[in-house]
Amino acid sequence: MAYLKKDMIDFHKAYSHMLRLRVAQEELVKHYLNKKVFSMVHFYIGQEAVATGVCDALKVDDQVMGTHRSHGHYLAKGGSFRMLAAELFGRVTGSAHGKGGSMHQVDRSVNFTGSSPLLGSAVPIATGVAFAQKYLGKPGVVAVFYGDGASEEGVVYETYNLAALRKVPILFVLENNQWSINSPIKNRRSQGYNLEKIATGLGVKYEHADGNDYEDVYTKTVKLVGSIRKGGGPAVLECLVYRHMAHSTPLMEEKHRTGDVLEERLKKDPLKKLKIKIVMSGVLEKKLAKEEENLRQKICTDIAWALEQPYPSKEELYTNVYN
Amino acid sequence: MSTTKNGRTNVREPIKYADALKEATEQLLVSDPRVLVLGLGVPQGTGGVGSLAQIYPNRVLDMPTSEAALTGLAVGASIGGLRPIVFHDRVEFSLLASDQMFTQAAKWRYMFGGNGGSAPVTLRIVVGRQWGNGPQHSQAFYGMFGGVMGLRVVIPSSPYTAKGLLIAAVRADDPVVMLEPRWLYGVKEQVPEELYEVSLNKARIIKKGSDITVVSYGDALFAARQALELIGDTTRVELIDLVSLNPIDHKTISASLKKTRRLLTVDTTSSAFSVGSEVIAKAVQGGVEFMVTPQSLACPDVPCPTSSALSEFWYPTKVNVANAILNILNKPKIDTKLTFEELHMAPTVTL
Repeated sequence: MAYLKKDMIDFHKAYSHMLRLRVAQEELVKHYLNKKVFSMVHFYIGQEAVATGVCDALKVDDQVMGTHRSHGHYLAKGGSFRMLAAELFGRVTGSAHGKGGSMHQVDRSVNFTGSSPLLGSAVPIATGVAFAQKYLGKPGVVAVFYGDGASEEGVVYETYNLAALRKVPILFVLENNQWSINSPIKNRRSQGYNLEKIATGLGVKYEHADGNDYEDVYTKTVKLVGSIRKGGGPAVLECLVYRHMAHSTPLMEEKHRTGDVLEERLKKDPLKKLKIKIVMSGVLEKKLAKEEENLRQKICTDIAWALEQPYPSKEELYTNVYN
Repeated sequence: MSTTKNGRTNVREPIKYADALKEATEQLLVSDPRVLVLGLGVPQGTGGVGSLAQIYPNRVLDMPTSEAALTGLAVGASIGGLRPIVFHDRVEFSLLASDQMFTQAAKWRYMFGGNGGSAPVTLRIVVGRQWGNGPQHSQAFYGMFGGVMGLRVVIPSSPYTAKGLLIAAVRADDPVVMLEPRWLYGVKEQVPEELYEVSLNKARIIKKGSDITVVSYGDALFAARQALELIGDTTRVELIDLVSLNPIDHKTISASLKKTRRLLTVDTTSSAFSVGSEVIAKAVQGGVEFMVTPQSLACPDVPCPTSSALSEFWYPTKVNVANAILNILNKPKIDTKLTFEELHMAPTVTL
């Protein structure tokens, strides 16, 4: 079996990975509200188990791509937080020299190949990156993250077929947070809509995971990626998640989210869930609190560094258009 | 006739525009293992490179009828280190992949400040006229492509430029759209046998002259070439092939206008938002002291009709171009009646 034995997962480490994403974003929210962030931002708070569960199951050679809500994917693959913060503040030392902002994350040194915010657009591109990987005989698979809104775009269905046709080594990670901006999924899907049937009908493997559960995401990724590596062709991993905040602002409550009450959903918060697990296994809460404090300290130091960084010069406007 | 680097002279028969593109493709496949060609029906002959599929079955690939996905796959493959050539048999279909061309490939370098690499994909897209193709099968969208920052956009007007531009496009570290006027596929010219590049961002002076500058590109340039034959040598026309729509080589144009101070542009798309309008606007802003108001010759601002009885009045003919030149020079018009073949059938002449 490709499944990893449960006792091989270091849940404490996994919790630390997830916490890094959560704390980094919580601190960025403060600066967004203080109007220091000059970039459209889509926060990933609440969905951390997916980014970390998938990325922890990948190897260094594997590449990751994402869309508009990709702070988490970038950080989970090992992207520099300092450069992310600098990018959000529009500084020249940001990951994209301040030209991209929140929606254009990249760090090729850790094989985070790029995020592109036109939803489904990133899906064929990531498939092409994986196609090149296979064509050049290089090891490694590609994982692309996108949402339930993106997955309704025609290009995504087209890509499922094309990826299966060419046996491209790609994992499609669909984070279903059940909202496309402010349209609930029930407004957007026919009663008979069945993604498993669609994906498998197009020749792509399909698995469903609880996106609030790190272990479930991790083990299913290990299984699917194992098959992809052996040439088994592409797979979809659909993860049901909860987007704590509004589409693109750090608003916690939105009137239109009836029947989707924050309080109820917070009970399923992936961090809370994992924390209980590791405390039960004997890790002291005090130790975890200290670790969180240290992490926050480090994040704040990085943010302070980023806020000191220079802005790009006017010349930057004209560079990197063409070679 | 062509001269190779070592001074040897090769005499080859003129080859067709379509065959020049095939020759370039084959030489690129031989010389660079990163090159592959993909598109609907390509191994079966679409795009004129089908026979190469027998030699390179894993590099000349058929694709599903999924324009956005196949273009996106090529964009991603180029980001991942390959040099794909995508073939879209009609520009109208390529627009199903407009997000991939205009928003993804074109912006990839800039939006990551250079840290995400680039998307060096080459898109061969067929545009323009063909008999009986009508409103939805004969558009060109030159102005739209030219207005996308981050794309390089070139239009080969001859077999020589077709081969050299395709080679330069594939070797460039940027996404390049090559708009190929279908009208020209049968036009012949002597073409060097070896691999060579034609600059992706420079206009070419086809004929030197001092009385008037005619700026054109693609199949409109072909009409302009023929117009010069009608007019004869007494009128000294400087004919410029734009070659590139992004960037437009305004430097070459303004150097010519300094000399001639008269300008005609010729397009084979509607006048509104035409390339000619852009050329004239920049020339006027550049402070050229024109002796005669610059003129543009283009198609009417209506869709292109199918019936030959109507399409006859849609495209500027060589007679229209000749008379536009003569009018600016205040010379008498010529009155030549064109045959049905000249008006409606794609040319097969040798340049």
